Amino acid sequence: MVPMRASWGRLGMDELLQEFISETQETLEALAGEVVAWEADPSDRDRLDAIFRFFHTVKGSCGFLNLPRFERLSHAAEDVLSEIRAGNRSPDPATVSAVLGIMDRIGELAEAVAIGAALPNENDDFLIGALSAMPDEAVVETVGKVQAPVAVARQGGAQSGPRTIRLPLSLIDQLMNGVSDMVLARNELSRKLRERTADPELDNVFERLSTCVADMRDVISKTRMQRVDRLFAAIPRMVRDLGRELGKRIDLTLEGGDVEMDREMVEMVVDPLTHIVRNSIDHGIETPEKRRAAGKPEMGSLRVEARQSGNQIVIAIADDGAGIDTARLVEKSVLAGRLTPDAAARMGEQEKLDLIFQPGLSTANQVTAISGRGVGMDVVRANVERIGGVIALDNHPGQGLTITLRVPLTLTIIPGLIVRAGGQHFAIPRAAVVEILHDNNETLQISQVGGAQIATIRSVRHSMIDLEDVLGMEKPVQSGPRAIMVVRSATGVPFAMGVSAVDNHEELVIRPASPLVMATGVYAGMTLPDNGKPMLLLDAAGLANAARLPNIIDDRAARQREEAADAQTGVEMVAALRFEELSGEKRLLKLSLIERVEDVDARLFGRSGGRAFVRLDGRLVPVANGLCQFDRDKVSALRLKDDRREACYPVAAVLDIVQMPAVPDMVAMHGLLSGVAVIDGEHLEVVNPFALFAALPEESIVERAMGRCLLADAEDGWTREILAPLLRQAGHDVVLGLPVDAIVDPEDVVLCADAGAAQAAEIMGCRVVQLRASPRPVGPQDGSIYRYDQAALMAAIAGQRS
Amino acid sequence: MDQLYLLATLADTRIAVDACEVEAVVRLTDISPVPGMGAHVAGLSALRSRVLTIIDVAALIHGRPTPPERRSLAIIANISGHSYGLMVDGVSDICRVPEGELPLRGQLGPAWTPYARALVEHEGHPWLLVSLAAFIEGGAVAQAA
Repeated sequence: MVPMRASWGRLGMDELLQEFISETQETLEALAGEVVAWEADPSDRDRLDAIFRFFHTVKGSCGFLNLPRFERLSHAAEDVLSEIRAGNRSPDPATVSAVLGIMDRIGELAEAVAIGAALPNENDDFLIGALSAMPDEAVVETVGKVQAPVAVARQGGAQSGPRTIRLPLSLIDQLMNGVSDMVLARNELSRKLRERTADPELDNVFERLSTCVADMRDVISKTRMQRVDRLFAAIPRMVRDLGRELGKRIDLTLEGGDVEMDREMVEMVVDPLTHIVRNSIDHGIETPEKRRAAGKPEMGSLRVEARQSGNQIVIAIADDGAGIDTARLVEKSVLAGRLTPDAAARMGEQEKLDLIFQPGLSTANQVTAISGRGVGMDVVRANVERIGGVIALDNHPGQGLTITLRVPLTLTIIPGLIVRAGGQHFAIPRAAVVEILHDNNETLQISQVGGAQIATIRSVRHSMIDLEDVLGMEKPVQSGPRAIMVVRSATGVPFAMGVSAVDNHEELVIRPASPLVMATGVYAGMTLPDNGKPMLLLDAAGLANAARLPNIIDDRAARQREEAADAQTGVEMVAALRFEELSGEKRLLKLSLIERVEDVDARLFGRSGGRAFVRLDGRLVPVANGLCQFDRDKVSALRLKDDRREACYPVAAVLDIVQMPAVPDMVAMHGLLSGVAVIDGEHLEVVNPFALFAALPEESIVERAMGRCLLADAEDGWTREILAPLLRQAGHDVVLGLPVDAIVDPEDVVLCADAGAAQAAEIMGCRVVQLRASPRPVGPQDGSIYRYDQAALMAAIAGQRS
Repeated sequence: MDQLYLLATLADTRIAVDACEVEAVVRLTDISPVPGMGAHVAGLSALRSRVLTIIDVAALIHGRPTPPERRSLAIIANISGHSYGLMVDGVSDICRVPEGELPLRGQLGPAWTPYARALVEHEGHPWLLVSLAAFIEGGAVAQAA
């Protein structure tokens, strides 16, 4: 486990020691779970061997490094383990506890050495004594408790990671910065290139450079990724210890340890996850007696599962315990004065459940050592939302509780809205914004009383602040309406915030701001957009605090009634963007299709072959509504994207985001429209996304010129390393492997080496270029092309296409 | 004791900074203000792909923010993992001072006491040796809190 280095002689003693310490600590972390798993299944020879090897290596290295205490501890543990390996002794819980004790002590000692503190002078003899306690003593303790308290099923088997090297994090950060610089330089170059007359040769070289930079950025971002395993490492041990302490038996399942997420994100999720698991064991899973009485198996089940879903990591923690008693929650919050009995009576089950996120509430009857110490689910939720995550509860009283955490794949990129206030731009996480309205919207009413501003939106009253006031900025006079955003902070109640305008929707690369800036409490970080002007990321909860907004559950009943009414009619609502067409009509388009809104230079629009297009980011993008002549210099454009194609939709103005019924109130399929929806008493036409994308040219304009090359032998090194780059350089769009869903365009060309694959591809209905490794054809029937005959290869691909 | 020092002027005072603390000196371009901060934080500025927090040191010393047209140079420093730019009026020299640091003499103005460490003698003038980290950790954070 701990690799010995042949080059030790060349390292200094200090480096040697450091190496030993960090490797020991890492192995310890990874092993904690293994020991518990081994306890559950003592016959598991692989795990026993892994643990034995650890002690053996520690013993070996520390003799050399002159660390006598390490040596003594590991020697004792090794002795016991070798007895077990020889079958002279069985790994009963007491022995396992003792082994764990030794591992803990080694961890403490390593920690002390690492920070250069004096070694904690505790008596190691006690631990060693516990280890060598005669088996019969241990039996006394384990009577009636033959099974191990925790059974661990970890999918993916024992650990055998890929080969790795250790790198300082600072080096990776430097690399990241270097790549960011490169991207900025590339953007500037691209701007400069656009200013001069087009030179296809130069454009081509620039495209190649862009691809390289983009690839490099992807790869470097991957170095920040870490397996979720690290997040899971501490859980088995914790579950085991807690289970023993509380006399509960738990069947723990960990799944999805090979999912990868951002290193920093792992750090941020550890605490919430630990807290939830503790809660689950302490409050969720009942004692064996209670479970028996309830007709459940004595052993409680706890399942922690991670998976990737789009650009999110989903971590689900499911137990089959008692679930949350919502009646008690309501009772407690009424007692605490947070809720009137009247309002409580009107609350729905989900709303009652959400009370668990109120500060200072717990369903635990008494404070135990494990949880219920005032650090509650409110803190867990705050922590999860701080990193742009979402927490959801699925409660089945008496049956169990599933808590789902959804966190973004990386801490550093979040979807955000760019808002303008006091003549400056700010970013706010998209997840924090519930709704955006203009202050001339009829459903909105802003009133003032005693200096306080109240925004009433559809009969729900929100505290209202103006961003300029909170930040102490001048409020410039503006001609158009101001935008009012309903912001949901992590811990508090939603509030309304006025800004000059909401400008844009972008993926933002967030970086930490300096402690000085963070000390204001209203910023969560900063970002550097392409224009090179740093922008601050607002912290919703911080703003509410800074404005000293009251944090009381208010008038949710009205909203709930409204929701109930909606639910009765069974109308599913989706978020939609309300915009004004250049021809003046107001229309709606489903928000999820819109990647972002941006102002595009009208000169970039053009027409070719009867189709309107616009040059964006160096590509030609089709224009969805066919417009290419405008009476203004800059035109607002919606950037749309389905799963693979993009389009641009120029509009006169973007109005706001509203909720529209998923099925229009009046269905009338006509051209680009799917019907009419009534929003706030106004009849609005709904744009039909299906028709919109269906009307686009079949392939994007650039792609049609060159077409796709499908490389059937995706696993083949030559194909990946030599053929694919050649084709990319020649301007072809290259796809490695045949599409799984077998959707092949007749324009596509399949390249393969194998005659069988060639036939298969021909059956799929596309054209095939077969390659061979030898310069000569096998026979007169051989239609393949020598793979290094570039001219013939290119001609074949081009010819196939014509 | 052949230490390198950066000699600069700041708030009408001659100061010296240990060259180890200095990463670079740049001419300030765009500064995006950080609303809600005291006057001593002039704002954020981008240096290639890094974002610097720009400290108006003069505001820290005598409480008056430097007007935007007088903002010229900033000393770039990395202090506990974050990049800062500390505004100075001018930079005169980087040189070795054979005598090294001399103890402080005379009654130092109270505004300077938290930041000054010693004196450095150069070309017959005393220069106040200040610590950049002290401006951030001592003064600025305390004022922000």
